Amino acid sequence: MADASPPSEPVEVRLRDLRLGSGPVEIVARVLRAERREITRSSDGGRRSLLSGLLSDGTATVRFTWWDPPREGVERGDVLRAVAPEVREFRGRTELSFGWKTRVGPASEAELPVVRPEEIPSRGLKDLTDPMEGFRVVARVVRVAERSVTVGDERRVVYDGLLADGGATVGFSAWVDFRLRSGEAVEIVGAYVREFRGTPQLVLDERASVRRVEGTDLPTPATVLDAPPVAIAQLEDTGGAASASVQGVVVGLLPPSGLVYRCPRCRRSVQDGTCREHGPVTGIPDLRARLVLDDGTGALTVNADRATTERLWGTTLEQVLSGLRDRPDPAAWESSLLEAVFGRRLRVRGSATRDDFGVTLQPDTVEPAEVDLDASADRLSARLGDGRR
Amino acid sequence: MTGRETAWRVFARELEASLEPERGTGERATSYVLSPFGARMNRVLLAGTLSTAEPVGRDETPSFWRARLTDPTGAVAVTAGTFQPRAMEQLRAGSGSRTVLVVGKVNLYHGRDGTAYVSVRAESLRDVTETEERAHYTEALEQTLDRVDLVDRLARGEAAAPREVGFVPPPWVVAAAESLRRYPSADRLQFRRDLRPVLGRIVGVASSALVPPAPPSVQVRRDPAPSPSTAPTAAERAEESLLLEFLDQVAEASLDAYADRRELLARVGAQGLGTDRAEAVLTRLEDEGVVEEPVVGKLRRA
Repeated sequence: MADASPPSEPVEVRLRDLRLGSGPVEIVARVLRAERREITRSSDGGRRSLLSGLLSDGTATVRFTWWDPPREGVERGDVLRAVAPEVREFRGRTELSFGWKTRVGPASEAELPVVRPEEIPSRGLKDLTDPMEGFRVVARVVRVAERSVTVGDERRVVYDGLLADGGATVGFSAWVDFRLRSGEAVEIVGAYVREFRGTPQLVLDERASVRRVEGTDLPTPATVLDAPPVAIAQLEDTGGAASASVQGVVVGLLPPSGLVYRCPRCRRSVQDGTCREHGPVTGIPDLRARLVLDDGTGALTVNADRATTERLWGTTLEQVLSGLRDRPDPAAWESSLLEAVFGRRLRVRGSATRDDFGVTLQPDTVEPAEVDLDASADRLSARLGDGRR
Repeated sequence: MTGRETAWRVFARELEASLEPERGTGERATSYVLSPFGARMNRVLLAGTLSTAEPVGRDETPSFWRARLTDPTGAVAVTAGTFQPRAMEQLRAGSGSRTVLVVGKVNLYHGRDGTAYVSVRAESLRDVTETEERAHYTEALEQTLDRVDLVDRLARGEAAAPREVGFVPPPWVVAAAESLRRYPSADRLQFRRDLRPVLGRIVGVASSALVPPAPPSVQVRRDPAPSPSTAPTAAERAEESLLLEFLDQVAEASLDAYADRRELLARVGAQGLGTDRAEAVLTRLEDEGVVEEPVVGKLRRA
């Protein structure tokens, strides 16, 4: 590497300031993720090893590729100094490539650039789009719940919830326990945005930091959760929402609704005792309802779980199972469910997603909706003009 | 996006005044009936007083039933046939008049004298309480006035959704513009007057005190003229047979003997029959009475 003589001395820059085609640079950053691979050259079949992953210095996170890296000793969390890396761009995002010209060595925490919080741009939740990082948000924790997931062979706890500011409500997923409590106002630095089922979601991992703030101008959880219903056409238009409330009339049911059997391993519905994923299984009986809710501007599907289905139907899973002997036809049960729900006026709140078949709402709450007849009559009377009063 | 057809909130008066058929985009797309007041309806949600159902035709086992639904603005025929067994049962249930909520598909017939009249083929109906009826009228009146206001704004050359109005559903804007084009001389002021009796019902005046007004006169300009339907080509027949073959397969494999609409579309999609085409073929098969959808999203042979 002795002859790696760049035309001018490398300048130390932060990852946020990396630009294509600028002079030689030097960076200090922490390894967030690193993965080793070997590729085979098509020309001569020779093998070449590489290490790729993500680097962050607190101002931005960039993907890196390190050709012919040291055999060992590069781990997640290490701080590296790279002199004269090659700056590239892939799909609009800046990347670094460490080749034979690049000198890479360990560095200390103290060498990482000092980033003052005020240097990081502040963003409103409504401006978050995938991909986005290197920003801070100030928001209210509307709701947070613990969930256990399997990542590879590892069980991990994720903290899922909702954040709201004056402009929008977005879902978040925290892979680290930041001890978030619903109702508190927080400033989050170092999170990134990822699209989840068509809507942007904030992801907090080891890089993120959370600070409690006053947040007096932020909406309360109650205002967010009790927000007035929106037109279903609006959800069809915008493509979904982390938290949306709609009000409409049940005009139909989509299959499968009523009694279903689920795979004991993956909870998918089982057809003829066979799970798509796990082959022949003994299905576990369950109730569900896929309600078509229509508000006159549009229609969406509400996926009601067993508890909600039982409540709307007035029939429990046990009652259905014990009644099967007298009434073995599943279609008859579905008819009975449709009779119970058809025409019901419901207010439903949950997360909405859109696909080719329309909008689906995963409900958090399903409540009967009341219409204030007196107030409406006054309003409509005024609109109709010189009729009554 | 191939969403579900919205159930428009309308009153009988608006249906009585609806004379214009509409085809969606694409060959053999969903059919609509266009009203003069900003509704482009494939499906509607109605409430009113339903008369005893009567069989249509003189068969010993009637396969088609018709009842009359009256609301404070007018009346409309509600029908159901053997191909909608549940709706037919509900339509025939009980005698004497009762208050119901109906969701159904709008049909436009042209009689031999050229008169167009609208009926609603019931998909589902149920008896409702007076409070439920009033809640429905409240919503239907609010939305009907919203739509007429929208047509008025477009007629004056104003923005469809000015700031003070807020969000206006994009399908409403499309419908309103088309209403204005196809019914240039519709009397919207008279229509607003025709809606007034609804208010009495909302505040709880007994229905017997209200007499529906006389049918409105709406001048219609046909533009373009309705085109006669043509016989399907060999290629269209081939698509139909592919669709029916898969419908049978999906229905056979399902627990309830119905074919799931989504699954069917996915299967024929894998055979190269795209969703739009397949939907069009399905619509035609449904119109011809070959295939029926007794439960939303569930298909079977009629």
